[in-house]
Amino acid sequence: MLAVTSLVAALALMPLTFVVWITVQTGWDTVVELVFRRRVGELLGNTLLLVLLTLPLSVVVAVTLAWLTERSDLPGRRFWAWLAVAPLAVPAFVHSYAWVTVAPGLHGLAAAVLVSVLAYSPFLYLPVAAQLRRLDPTMEDVAASLGHGPWRVFLTVVLPQLRVAVYGGCLLIGLHLLAEYGLYVMIQFDTFTTAIVDQFQSAYNGPAANMLAGVLVLLCMGLMGGEALLRGQERYARVGSGAARQAAPTKLGRATLPCLVIPLLFAALSLGVPMLTLGRWLAIGGARIWQGADIGSAILQTVALALAGALLTTLAAAPMAWLSVRAPGRLQRVLEACHYYVGSLPGVVVALALVTITVRVALPLYQTVGTVLLAYMLLFLPRALVGLRASIAQAPVELERAAMALGRTPLQAVRQITFRLAAPGAAASMAMVALGITNELTATLMLAPSGTRTLATEFWALTSEIDYAGAAPYAVMMVAASLPMTILLHIQSKRAAGR
Amino acid sequence: MKISRSRFVRSLALATALAALPAVALSGSVSAQTAPSADGITVYNAQHASLTKEWVERFTRETGIKVTVRNGSDMELGNQIVQEGAASPADVFLTENSPAMALVDNAGLFATLNAETLAPVPENFRPANGHWAGIAARSTVFAYNTGKLTQDKLPKSLLDLANPEWKGRWAASPAGADFQAIVGALLQLKGEAATASWLKAMKENAKPYRGNSVAMKAVNAGEVEGAVIYHYYYIGDQARTGGENSKNVALHYFRNGDPGAFVSISGAGVLASSKNKREAEAFVKFLTGKGGQEVLRDGDSYEYAVASGVASNPRLEPLDKLQAPKVKPEALNNKAVTDLMTAAGLL
Amino acid sequence: MSFLQVQGLGKRYGDAVALEDVDLSVRAGSRTAIVGRSGSGKTTLLRIVAGFETADRGRILLDGRPLVEAGTMVPAHRRGIGYVPQDGALFPHLSIADNIAFGLERNDPTRRTRILELLEAVELDRQMLERRPHELSGGQQQRVALARALARKPALMLLDEPFSALDTGLRDSLRRTVARVLCEADIATILVTHDQAEALSFADQVAVMREGRLTQAGPPQELYHRPRDRETATFLGDAIILPAEVENGWASCSLGRLAVAGGPRRGAAEIMLRPEQLRLVVDHDHAANGGDGGSMGWGRVVDVEFGGSVCKVAVTLGNAPGQPAPLLLRHSSMDLPRIGSRVRIHVQGEAHLFDTPLS
Repeated sequence: MLAVTSLVAALALMPLTFVVWITVQTGWDTVVELVFRRRVGELLGNTLLLVLLTLPLSVVVAVTLAWLTERSDLPGRRFWAWLAVAPLAVPAFVHSYAWVTVAPGLHGLAAAVLVSVLAYSPFLYLPVAAQLRRLDPTMEDVAASLGHGPWRVFLTVVLPQLRVAVYGGCLLIGLHLLAEYGLYVMIQFDTFTTAIVDQFQSAYNGPAANMLAGVLVLLCMGLMGGEALLRGQERYARVGSGAARQAAPTKLGRATLPCLVIPLLFAALSLGVPMLTLGRWLAIGGARIWQGADIGSAILQTVALALAGALLTTLAAAPMAWLSVRAPGRLQRVLEACHYYVGSLPGVVVALALVTITVRVALPLYQTVGTVLLAYMLLFLPRALVGLRASIAQAPVELERAAMALGRTPLQAVRQITFRLAAPGAAASMAMVALGITNELTATLMLAPSGTRTLATEFWALTSEIDYAGAAPYAVMMVAASLPMTILLHIQSKRAAGR
Repeated sequence: MKISRSRFVRSLALATALAALPAVALSGSVSAQTAPSADGITVYNAQHASLTKEWVERFTRETGIKVTVRNGSDMELGNQIVQEGAASPADVFLTENSPAMALVDNAGLFATLNAETLAPVPENFRPANGHWAGIAARSTVFAYNTGKLTQDKLPKSLLDLANPEWKGRWAASPAGADFQAIVGALLQLKGEAATASWLKAMKENAKPYRGNSVAMKAVNAGEVEGAVIYHYYYIGDQARTGGENSKNVALHYFRNGDPGAFVSISGAGVLASSKNKREAEAFVKFLTGKGGQEVLRDGDSYEYAVASGVASNPRLEPLDKLQAPKVKPEALNNKAVTDLMTAAGLL
Repeated sequence: MSFLQVQGLGKRYGDAVALEDVDLSVRAGSRTAIVGRSGSGKTTLLRIVAGFETADRGRILLDGRPLVEAGTMVPAHRRGIGYVPQDGALFPHLSIADNIAFGLERNDPTRRTRILELLEAVELDRQMLERRPHELSGGQQQRVALARALARKPALMLLDEPFSALDTGLRDSLRRTVARVLCEADIATILVTHDQAEALSFADQVAVMREGRLTQAGPPQELYHRPRDRETATFLGDAIILPAEVENGWASCSLGRLAVAGGPRRGAAEIMLRPEQLRLVVDHDHAANGGDGGSMGWGRVVDVEFGGSVCKVAVTLGNAPGQPAPLLLRHSSMDLPRIGSRVRIHVQGEAHLFDTPLS
């Protein structure tokens, strides 16, 4: 099992090795020439501005929504909680597709920040809301008894304890901002990822694309390092043993109406705009856009790729998950870090690495389903690992021993106890991977065998020719596929918080 | 732990067996359409996906030869073929512009086409070596917003757009192969120094968009006054949607042999490494023949027909009135262009 | 003069009654324990006094100043009432020093000395100051929580089961520390607990709550020996409750004739004895002996449970055929009777007669 784990970890290290290798191969002078130039500076500026503006805004949006839905007596707060998560069901590039339809002049940094906040703030809302639910309200009572008013209590007691959740959510969003392609192309905003794809389309896997990828990898590492640094050794677990009382909702009173506007506005912008736009294009397109075998074949291929990718990823993550739960140690932690880091790399970097490696070294794998699946596996390894770890932890080894003491053979014990207990979690993490694959664009575009058409690539091809009506059915399909996963995510986060 | 490990290996084997099921189904569903089978060919297509789809459907109907299409952009696929070398899975390469054809040809990867494939194509629409053939053409235009510009205020030459008074007023899609082909023509006609300084001015003056349609939309919305694009984006939008993205747009042709009057040739060639040369040649012959050219005339691509004496779509400004500059398509050098554009900070 | 006055307090959660018509007064500098089973409303009462929850009805006055009155409610942070919750609720993101100083003004020049004073008062070591809450034991955390609440010199301190999560030994020592610290600071204190022994030993006034009502309040000894009803009696400790016929200050029951306190009532009633009033004498010589002048009954041992220093002996009273369950009496581990042997039972002191007549 250690061998399998090491193999997966080695595969996970491949993109990083590739970047180093290609840098060495390119030669230092060329590297300097390609990296230290004005365009890279612009891209760096764009990308940093995007991150630095989007993250604080997302934090404000997410914390406000989380507080309103978790801690206030806002009418219909369960409903608003769902709507705060629901934008995740709309792929990022469908968000921007909707926005450029509604406001064709929406370009540049401001537009990029707006759409990013709408598309990604659920990634912050989920952990923040969960942490708010977990927080012991007694602490706020104590702070009030020590003479602090409600606003000061929130700032000095509640907010600091949301820090870890906020950092985690910010890291996730930041990595998405670095990796996303479709969203920014449509909204006319250049980032490293769009520039790499531009270079790829101008010169395939030329040195310029590879060097940009190198800088992008550094940015990802910087983001992760920054998060680790900020988080430090903080541990905000509840001190003490008693069961946390459920917080009494804060009465909004006269502020109720203005407060209702906030989730309403968020839902209108993040869900209303995509839904109305899709509805409009479907109406304009009529029956025409549903005709032909294209949609059917795209669905079939997407489902097949998503299932196979999810299964492969889950199987590849399983030994690591098993080891980290049942036999933790130093080596295991190193291997686990390898599994996690690769998922933070943008699809474009992983794809670029795999294109170059297969075309130069492993030609039989070039342009095969296997290579795309490998890319999916690397990209979504952490998703599978997180879910699997939790589900294997559901089945402590004591239960197996108990089953064996009751006369089961070891195999029977694993099958009847561990598999049974871990199955729902494993299925959920498979579903999360499948969802990621369904909406994946860049790696699929760059790696898939000729003739592969997924929902995402078809949607992309049609919007590139500004056939927005024709693209609408594909967007609807992606949203429909993502919806159950979003629901699952919401329920999981509630369960994780113990309610 | 030893027990549970071996147990896990066994369960892993079981799961792998299960994994094989969708994988088999997958290879069934994907390979049916992808893997080049004995009776089919693989086309690396940089032309508009919808146009090639029309061609392929008609070709397969006429010949029974199956075609698998890999879509991409000119330079992406051109460079990809060069990388793949003799191992390329491609049988035929189709482009929108000539530079990518020149790239592959210079790498010595094209087979020479048969005389009867080349014959219907006029000599000015194909290289002299016969390694590839022109199959369609598109004209550079200056698409302008009719509310912001009048006839008398239009640029006389593409070079005028480098002047300071055009700062912030015009758009292009510099990352696209289309615009890079135009720059290629400029480079061939005016030389490296002139091109480099023009690109430098462009970096200051032009707003970059990704895609010609998007640039035209920006003109239509009045974000910029004009854009250097190809003609058919405008005509296609007028014909298909009645002007959803172009109702405030008109086209200005530079003419007079100006670099801005450049007519770009879309090419088709058969790869020397192809194992299905007969079928591949048949496909290119179909494209240069009446069948393929009629698709250009009757379909909604609105690109110029160039071969077999087939007239272009009547909506188009006639090809012979464009006064295009004389450019050798086989000598268009995209590497030099992207290097210059990278140096100018446009890429 | 009572320092805290709670009058006619009522609170409902939907249809469930949490508090009904609760009156309570607390003298300045005194210690009150509110005791009751979980769900009895004791925590709700405390939280309303603290200002964390609103009352539906009633008033609360602190030192003559209304905290809760029809239409007005002083928010928690303006009440100046200290609060120590069940598990301390230390702020996990702050050091111990910052936790203690949380209620002090940020630029208070005496901040450092105050922290040290408080730390000393709750008997904690200085080297704790820079630690984080999770590095402390449960008992240490509670001491910090107390120091934190003391920092603002509150006039009233509310303790919400602060000892319940601790081990028995630790609990007693901490309870003594808390009692001493609060006594020295002359702070009126209300302790909420479900542990009647804790309530009885800690407080000079005990209030018993049941189903949202305050059933009885008074000094611990009085409540223990003179509970108003059967439920209060059994809640505050083991009780032997017997049916009796009462007449002229005497009760006839299965233990014989016992003196009762409680006025000139007559007729059928229930009387209560605490187990420590009963003494079991192993009857070796079958000789009737009046002992030290208390009343006396006879019984037969049906079960003996060895328990170390104190053992339990189950005795059926032979001369009372209606007696349903055997009495559980305490006995020293020395001289344990054998099962089946006949024993005498001495009763010391008066039996208690419940106020409520037998239904």
